[in-house]
Amino acid sequence: MNMHTADAVTAEESIAIQEQQAKFDSEAATAVAMQDTLLTPRFYTTDFDELDAIDVSSVREDWDKLIAQMVSDPNKGHFKKNADWDTVDWDGMDPVLRKEFIDFLISSCTAEFSGCVLYKEMKRRGSNKDITQLFQLMARDEARHAGFINDALREAGVAVNLGFLTQKKKYTYFRPKFIYYATYLSEKIGYARYITIFRHLQEHPEHRFHPIFKWFEEWCNDEFSHGEAFALLMKTDPKLTSGVNVWWIKFFLTAVYSTMHVRDHQRPAFHTALGVDTDWYGHAVFTKTSQLTKQIFPITLDIDHTRWARGLKRLQDANLDIAAGKARGGISGWMTKTWGSARAAFAFVSLYTIPSVPNAVPASPRLEPAY
Amino acid sequence: MGLLTKEVERAPCTVEISHKFESLHAHVRFDNGAVIYPGDEVKVHGPEIMAPFGEIVSEQREATIFRASKLERLWTRLTGDFEVMELCEFSFSDEVTL
Repeated sequence: MNMHTADAVTAEESIAIQEQQAKFDSEAATAVAMQDTLLTPRFYTTDFDELDAIDVSSVREDWDKLIAQMVSDPNKGHFKKNADWDTVDWDGMDPVLRKEFIDFLISSCTAEFSGCVLYKEMKRRGSNKDITQLFQLMARDEARHAGFINDALREAGVAVNLGFLTQKKKYTYFRPKFIYYATYLSEKIGYARYITIFRHLQEHPEHRFHPIFKWFEEWCNDEFSHGEAFALLMKTDPKLTSGVNVWWIKFFLTAVYSTMHVRDHQRPAFHTALGVDTDWYGHAVFTKTSQLTKQIFPITLDIDHTRWARGLKRLQDANLDIAAGKARGGISGWMTKTWGSARAAFAFVSLYTIPSVPNAVPASPRLEPAY
Repeated sequence: MGLLTKEVERAPCTVEISHKFESLHAHVRFDNGAVIYPGDEVKVHGPEIMAPFGEIVSEQREATIFRASKLERLWTRLTGDFEVMELCEFSFSDEVTL
């Protein structure tokens, strides 16, 4: 019954199929109270000539090894549901936890999906074979992860909607080096986040309230390899990790860590259900990420500095006020929002100005997952 | 391309959507080789597209590209970088309290 408009010969036929499909979708939606979630990925463009100019010959040996490993696709068979995927009692789940967990799944799915869109675009627009091959492989992994999360969402009665495809979308721009810093960090911190939850649940299986966590170990190995690839890319050009760029690296580290702190605190029930203290979890993830990024970044953040935890707390409080101000509206809402924004900026500056810890970068950046 | 004026062009495109367990992805490719620059906007015409679960759908569509003016392109190049944080898995939710 799932005929698609692509099969239609005439416009009328196409519309008829559309209508039938819509009816089917809405019936299905009513039947299982399907909740429609619009994925909202971002669209990026960058300096593709600069990407093409990358020469990996200085890291060739490590590069070829990594690419060969990604081509062999050790995780190919991993993302399948098997007997480990036990039944999830979505109806019996605490509504607050359910909401937060679904939000977690949707944001993860969107991130994988956006990564896929970005990597695919880089693959398509580039002409340097090393680079296009890498981005093709990474796009494959991201699409696979997105598919896996999508399936978990479907089970929960949440249907992703790709309506953004036919909406007007604006393409923003990132300099290639910012893509390296941000994606490198997001892959490595992604690894640290997934493995920290996985190891914690190995010790405390009673907190594993959904089977998807059992897949986190191999999953995060994909994130790990992607991070390795970006580390090698950065290694090809020493300028990327020296001089004024060290300040950019510090900026990205501070921004990524503090964003994670603020966002994670939006999901208290999720962390309680996992049996982790959100601050403990954050610190564990930052510690691992700092250790990993020593492979390429000449500095790490001093996350044990007295101003660190305090700054994060202030940033989070300011963020709550901004949201409250926005929700309230009017002049008093605007004032609350503006005051909150000023405090958030101040908190960020306070975090950014904590002296960083210097690090002697090794000659070869390659690492293996060890956590 | 003017400093302040926008140009509009049409381009045929192929939209591919995979809604399979193994892969969830969606890509738009311009069939005439049109290239997107910073600040450009793209609208794919026609009804919403969604592949039924388990299938891959590929459709030929028409798209309109709204070219950014020179000034807008420059502005996007200068400011776009700050949106880079959106690539992180934990930064997508708009709601501050759930």
